[in-house]
This record gives sequence, C-alpha cells and structure tokens, in this order.
Amino acid sequence: MIYLDSAATTLQKPKAVARAMKTAVNTLASPGRGGHAASMRAARAAYECRELAARLFNVPDPANVVLTSSATHGLNIAINSLAHLASRGGAALISGYEHNSVMRPLKAAGIEALVARSELFEPEGLLRAFASALDRGRIAFAVLNHVSNVFGYIQPAERIAALCRAHGVPLIIDASQSAGSVPINMLSLGAEFIAMPGHKGLYGPQGTGLLLCRGPADGVFGIMQGGTGSDSASDAMPAFLPDALEAGTHNMPGIAGLSEGIKFVLSRGETRILEHARGLTDEAARGLAELPGVRVFGGSGKNRAGVLSFRLKHTECEAAAEELSRRGFAVRAGLHCAPEAHRTAGTFETGTVRLSVSAYNTARELRALVSAVSEMARKSPRNRNNRPGAKASPQKFYIVSRPNARGSSSESR
Amino acid sequence: MLDYLLICRSVTYAQRTAKALESAGISAVVTRAPRGLSPAGCSYCVRVSGRHIAAALAAVKNAGLPPARVFIQSENGGYSPYGSAGAPSL
Repeated sequence: MIYLDSAATTLQKPKAVARAMKTAVNTLASPGRGGHAASMRAARAAYECRELAARLFNVPDPANVVLTSSATHGLNIAINSLAHLASRGGAALISGYEHNSVMRPLKAAGIEALVARSELFEPEGLLRAFASALDRGRIAFAVLNHVSNVFGYIQPAERIAALCRAHGVPLIIDASQSAGSVPINMLSLGAEFIAMPGHKGLYGPQGTGLLLCRGPADGVFGIMQGGTGSDSASDAMPAFLPDALEAGTHNMPGIAGLSEGIKFVLSRGETRILEHARGLTDEAARGLAELPGVRVFGGSGKNRAGVLSFRLKHTECEAAAEELSRRGFAVRAGLHCAPEAHRTAGTFETGTVRLSVSAYNTARELRALVSAVSEMARKSPRNRNNRPGAKASPQKFYIVSRPNARGSSSESR
Repeated sequence: MLDYLLICRSVTYAQRTAKALESAGISAVVTRAPRGLSPAGCSYCVRVSGRHIAAALAAVKNAGLPPARVFIQSENGGYSPYGSAGAPSL
C-alpha cells in the first residue's frame, strides 16, 4: 500500500516510537502519583516530552505545554477557556478553512462564528477580511486553521497573529496540519493557545496531542476535573499549569512515543520536512492538473504544504477513493470533517479526494498515484478526452483568483 | 551535612526547579514531599545538600521558581522550617 493519508494520521513512524511505547508499557507508572521508581520514571518521561515540545515550538516554560489526547481535546479546552469573552454578544472570528473540531465546540458553547471571507487561497484578502472584522469590534477571540486539512493551504498565521495582538484579541491556532511540518514559534506568535495532535506531523501515536498555553493558568478552563497528584486536599482543580488541564491518568506509552516523534522532527527540521512535502504535492498537482477531467485544489508555491485535493469530473469522490484503494493507494474522500473549508472552495456538494504526504513518502509514490488517476480518467466512459494521447484542455490547477461565491467580506454563519 | 527540602506545588514544578539547579551546577533530587510538610495535599520536593542551600535558593529565585516552603531535614529525620530558631537564616 502507498499511504497518502497523513493528514488523518501518519502511519509510518520512526522505529523509535514503537520501541519507546513498548518500553513504557513495562516500565512507566503514573507521573505525579507516587515517589517510587516507576512513577518517577514516568514523571521524567512526561517532563521530557514537555521540554522537547517547548524546544520545537519556542515555549518559554515547559509547564505551559499541556499533554492532551488530541488536537480536538486541546481546541475544546482553548475555546471553552475563552468562551466567557463572548458572553456579552461577542463573536469568534474564524477563517473559512476551519475544521469541525473548531466549528462544533463553538456551536456547543453558543458562540457565533464570524467567517472572514476572502478569495480562495489568497492571503492578502484574508488579512483584509480579518482586519476589517477586528476593526468593527465585537470580536471576543479569533481561531485560525494554520494549514487547511483539505487543501494544504498555509494561512498567514504570523500576520494574523500580529493583527490580533494589535487589537488585543486572543488568538487560538489550530496547528493540526502544521505542527512538525511548518515552523511555529509560540513566543513570537503570542497566541493564547496553539493546539495540535501528536499523531500527524509530530509522528507520535494516536491518542496524543499538545496544547501550548500562553498562560498563566487563571485563564484556562479544563473540560475535565479530577485527580492531578497535586493540591489533593482541595476539591478544586489546581490553579497552575499543566495540572489545571491534566486531570486523570496520563497516556504514558503515547507520551513516550510522542517524545521520539518530536525528536525525529527536531533532528530533521520542519523546514526540510516542509520542502520535501511541498516538492511531492507540487509534482502531484502538476501531474494531476494535466489529466483530462481532473481538477486540483490547493494553495500554490510557498502557500502549499503536504496536502492537496482533487476531483474527477465524472467520478464521485468516494468511488474514486475506493478505486484508488483497490489499486493500493490510501487516500481520503468526502468532506474531511471540514464542511466550512469545502463551502469556501465550492466543493461542499461534491467533496474531494485528498492526498497528504509525510516525510516517508517518495516522488515515485506520487508519480504512481498520478499514473493511476490518469488511467481512471481515461477509462471514464463519459470523459470526452479519454482516448490515449489526448491532451487535456488547459487548466489552472491552483484556484487562486476565483472570488468566493459569498463575496469577500466577513459574514456570520 | 543536613539536607534541605524545597517544597514544590507539583511534580512538574519540582522538575523545573531541579533543572534550574542542575543548570547552576547544584545536584538536586526530586522526591515525594513528606505529608506533614505539604498542607495542600500531595506534592513533591527537591532535595539539595545543605552545602549548596544559599546558591540553590539564589538559583531558583533567578529562574523565577520560588519554592512553596523550605525545610531542613535533621540527622534524626525530623524537619524544621528553614529560617526558624536554630536554623541558619537566609
């Protein structure tokens, strides 16, 4: 199988990840829950993970690295921590590429989501829409999907963060697709929270995640309460990080594995990982765009990470993914838990087929995928360009200038 | 030589404290805090040798990691607050 679904989870991990997990199962107890050797080893392992993440993301204090079970877990904490700011009619300002892990917690908290609309994959337009919404006031906090999980489009996080800082508006960054593959500097971004999974670009196991908190702890709201191994005489959660947000027993095998994944990223470097991924998706995008009846969606140049989407004109996206699966390719079709992103791109009705790469994929694998899609496109009975050697009609494979159907201004959902 | 216990509010805080001390060249060991020394409930402490206590307190102060409390462990196993009668003052 050629695995091209790393935006869901990276399947190929550094060998050290599984080794560390296996060792952890047999040697690590609960951190902060005892003074015996197995508990202290666990405490050292948890702290090492915090330190590694603090190093990778430039977090000044490892205590502000909260160990979560997923990016979704972290985003729920972040949104619920800032929800009180929206209690007097304030709204959350979001980009048009957000995932359900943002949309659903906002809805559950009864917070209005104001979408900063702009032309597709066009950073200047997004900045203008953000600035305009922030200038009008009423924004309690903002949420930004750093890299679209559907299109691989890298949003201008540094500049959005600067806008939010200038307006005194707290910012949550969803780094689900960027952590480990796009450089992130917590200190210079000044974001209130940055949430990420451990099992994607950080190459850790499923069931792990990180929430970077600007701190201090008095502004955080844990979505679980329980034992922390500290302040045990009190029936309230500790008022300090990370304990305030880490009720219950830690996933020590996961955390030990995640540390090894982060070491892999640190050793290789996010920039190198991004260049590799971008090289693969660029080549795939070019190859796919030349095929008859294939339309490619994604950012371009420096705005593209290791994800892109495409559609075959006469083949339903789930059927295309199924056919690719039969041919040995793991891709994902549908709405990718991000209906807002598909609405933004105009692909809500059809969905797309998504391919996403990791540091372990090769150019040869992507060429094989393009070749398979080419064959599928040729065999499509309704494709008018299906004869061998037929040239596709000229197509721009990046949609960079198509105005969004709903205009370029911010709009409320 | 007497040992000193720097009481910390959590195991993470104790680890940060120990790292700050090690960075300053002071040997430090994280252990569970004796129950009677942590009225808020379970907590951890960093044990340092009395030889280094002044440098240790300066190092944690510089790192912005003040301990909740400091105790001296006597040779008979008892504890007394640092700075109390009979104990050296800061």
